[in-house]
Parts: sequence; structure tokens; C-alpha cells
Amino acid sequence: MSKSIKQQFFFAHPPQAVWDYLTNADLMQLWLMKTDFQPILGFDFQFTTKPIPSMELDGIFNCKVLEITPFKKLAYSWKGGPGNGEVTLDTVVTWQLEATAKGTELYLEQSGFGKLEHVTIYNAMSGGWAGNVQKIIDRLNAAQHADIIA
Amino acid sequence: MPTSSLDVFQVIGDPSRRKMLMLLSTDSMTINSLADNFDMSRPAVSKHVKILYNAGFISIEDVGRERYCTLQKDGFDELQKWLQYFDQFWASRLKKLETLLNNKPN
Repeated sequence: MSKSIKQQFFFAHPPQAVWDYLTNADLMQLWLMKTDFQPILGFDFQFTTKPIPSMELDGIFNCKVLEITPFKKLAYSWKGGPGNGEVTLDTVVTWQLEATAKGTELYLEQSGFGKLEHVTIYNAMSGGWAGNVQKIIDRLNAAQHADIIA
Repeated sequence: MPTSSLDVFQVIGDPSRRKMLMLLSTDSMTINSLADNFDMSRPAVSKHVKILYNAGFISIEDVGRERYCTLQKDGFDELQKWLQYFDQFWASRLKKLETLLNNKPN
């Protein structure tokens, strides 16, 4: 449903080495941001950096570990805003590691960009709308009915 | 049902309104020229236009005797801004990670 960023990066190092830099807070801050991350499912943590005025972000990202499979997959929520409690950025960052003969293929996806209504129109414009949105409408309708029954 | 109570799904759940949004995605149009694309009465077209306007999908401007409808693109532009920012953010951070890994004493 939502728009995402996808990137693929090759490292000439084994997955264990790359994994360390994705999951050890001391190593993470060397290339990403200062963080109190711990590799525990459901763990709440923050990334902190300087405020980013151009994006109206205060530089504090609130995150939660959503999935963790050592050396293979890591996913966490990534939320941010202007600092008044409002969440303007509500995304999920997912890392996947694949061992290859020469090292590690790292796949990054940051998904969930865009408020639902904007994405919905965006998809409508690009023609991909019909199936997906209908499914959501159906689900919402079902949820409403469930509420009434409950 | 009053038009203002329609949610976003109800607003674009209607095929005629989706077609209107797509027609407006290329350029502004008068309500009359929009109506030319539909096999429905002018008041029916106006009703759909009003629903799109109330939901914030389009703006309406009176020019002479014509009413021009324009797609509100703010939402899309905002989305592009986020995508662009984080695309560059990750590319530069991963480059940094590569340098770190390559310089790591083994």
C-alpha cells in the first residue's frame, strides 16, 4: 500500500561482520546515529541526531525491534516528528542479509512513507490502485461490521 | 448522507470520482470540460466535484463564468520529499559503513 525506499549494497565481508554493525549500538553510531539499540525483540529504542529543519524533524527517532533473526534479518519501526509529539514520519526499516561466495548482499527497505490518503491517491494516479485499495476498503468495512457486532 | 462525512475511501471509492482525479492529474479543467467526459447530468458532475473539493483533493477557482478544478498536489510533493531525503540518507550511510568495514582490523 505504501511507498518505500529499497537499496541493495554489497560488502566484501561475511554476514557476521555486517550484522555486528547493524546490531551493536557502539558500532551503529559510527556510521548511522547514536542509539540505545539492543538486539531484543520488542525492545524500544531511539536514534538521535541533530535536528533536521528542512524535514521538520527534531532528530529523535523512536523505534521498536519488530523482527530479529541473527545474521539474516532485522526490522524496526522508525518514527519521527517535529518535536511536539506529532508523528509525521511513520516507517519501518528492514534489513536482510544474504551470504554470497564473496561476502554479503545487504538489502534495505524503508517502508510506510506517506499518509494513507496521499498514497491512495498516488496509487490511483499511477493506475495500480484498483486491487489493493479495494482490499483495504473491504477490510475496513469488515472491521466496522465487527465493531458493530462486538 | 452529507458529503462532508465521506472518508477518503468513500471519496475515491467511486469510479467517476477516480476518473475525475485522473483527468485532473494532467491539467486543471473547468467543470464543464470535466462533464464532457461523463455520461451524467451536469448537477451530478457538480456533486462529485463538491465531494472531491470537501475532501481536499481539489481546489476550485472561479475564472470569469467558468469554475476551474485543480488537483491538490501538496500531499504528493510531501511524499516525494521524504522519499528523496531518506534515499540519499541511506546511500551515504551505507557508504560510510563500507569504509568502516574495509578499514576494520581483522
